[in-house]
Amino acid sequence: MIGAIFSEVGLTVLFLRDIVRTAVRNPINGHLIAEQIVKVTQQSFATTALAGFFVGAILTVQFTLQVKQFGALGYLGGLATSGTIREVGPLLIAFMLSGKVGAFTSAELGTMRVTEQIDAIRCLGANPLLEIILPRFIGIVISSFFLLAIGLFMSIFGGLLMGVLFSGINPDEYLRHIPTIVSLVSIASGLIKCFVFALVLATICTYKGYATTGGAKGVGRAVVSTAVATMVCIVIADWFTSFIGDVVMFLFIGD
Amino acid sequence: MIEFKNLRKSFGTREVIKGLNLTVNEGEILFLLGTSGTGKSVTLKLLVGLLESTSGEIWVDGEDVTKFSEDEFLRIRRKCGMVFQHPALFDSLTVFENVAFGLRKLFKLDEKEITQRVRRCLEMVHVSGVEQKTPPQISYGMQKRVSLARTVATEPRILLFDEPTTGLDPVTTNAVNQLIKELSRRLKTTSIVVSHDMQCAIEIADRIVVLDQGAIVDIGTPAEIMKSKHPLVKDFMAEVNQAAEARSGGL
Repeated sequence: MIGAIFSEVGLTVLFLRDIVRTAVRNPINGHLIAEQIVKVTQQSFATTALAGFFVGAILTVQFTLQVKQFGALGYLGGLATSGTIREVGPLLIAFMLSGKVGAFTSAELGTMRVTEQIDAIRCLGANPLLEIILPRFIGIVISSFFLLAIGLFMSIFGGLLMGVLFSGINPDEYLRHIPTIVSLVSIASGLIKCFVFALVLATICTYKGYATTGGAKGVGRAVVSTAVATMVCIVIADWFTSFIGDVVMFLFIGD
Repeated sequence: MIEFKNLRKSFGTREVIKGLNLTVNEGEILFLLGTSGTGKSVTLKLLVGLLESTSGEIWVDGEDVTKFSEDEFLRIRRKCGMVFQHPALFDSLTVFENVAFGLRKLFKLDEKEITQRVRRCLEMVHVSGVEQKTPPQISYGMQKRVSLARTVATEPRILLFDEPTTGLDPVTTNAVNQLIKELSRRLKTTSIVVSHDMQCAIEIADRIVVLDQGAIVDIGTPAEIMKSKHPLVKDFMAEVNQAAEARSGGL
């Protein structure tokens, strides 16, 4: 079991190396990448924005219960927004994207594999990594990063609305402490996480789809294992980026 | 000429091809027949480098391709056209773009020449008026024909057919079989056809190879195979005879 997990991790890393090598050695077809960015963004824009909105709303409700006890309702906007942008927002929105973008991509590539389309590409003198994987990989990284950032932006509106409706705080007061609590470092931390999660998502779903075997059942297995592996790896990547962030902060700022 | 010398292929502990020795002559139509899982499709995939052999040699025009890298296989894939069990057309491309795909990747042709060759190949497989449709918009039988057109568009000298009639109705099966014969003769290609269809093999093949559990059990011209005493070949022939009796019985 553990051996199989390590083997799968190793194969995924080798696959990522092949993608990078392909990107470096060949001219990239910008048109195919743009097509993927548009497709992924169109598919997931509404749901990501909605998810972001409610993540912000949920955190505001939770923080309201805490800060009210200390009579610090004025800090609600800053605390809820900081928590959303730094941690909860990227994580929950990335989970949602892994279910939507990740599952779709691995199912699409898996179907191409079991219906021999990938073999046909090779037989017709083309490189499947260049023709179908690289455009999807870059497209998913760019669009997922953009979608995660949009989700975080929407979470501020969700928090604000819930602050007004649920916590009874006026909008000016809610927004007043956001710049004092949410620093540039917090925003950078959130955006770095968004990029890392996008990278994890793109790598796993393209690998799982490309490595599919065993007909229709194999495609089903690829989709399920994409969802599971992506979520597990996103949680691990979240911890890792937080840890690295803390180390970097300690080294450069000393606190 | 294609030569398989003591070719072996294993998947894990399961050996699928057990020391295959076979020579395919220039310009002949050779049928590989056998029950499922006897390594017929694997043999074709080894020839074009879609799979790696465990041991043995595959010689194509005087070169052993088993040691080839992916880049070196490009040279072999220019010579070989493969028709897969599935139509394997690209869903996001139109029929025209599907047929033009290999021409754009393998050759430096101008658009005018590509258009002419695509039209010519679609005419050859008796498909017209669907150039701007995508594969899901045409029937499965038509997808198979387009797949054939895509393969012959690059003018390969060797045609490989991996169960080209699987999943087709009898009428379309017959049409595709006739196309295989027609294209192979007209384009003067060496053709290897993987099939379960003994009737079709008898009608079309120059030679038939019967495989069982990864090894050749019989080989010969259709006339020789029809007289074979091997139990598996007899089973195949019994099916052909039953079908013939059913047809003559008024069905």
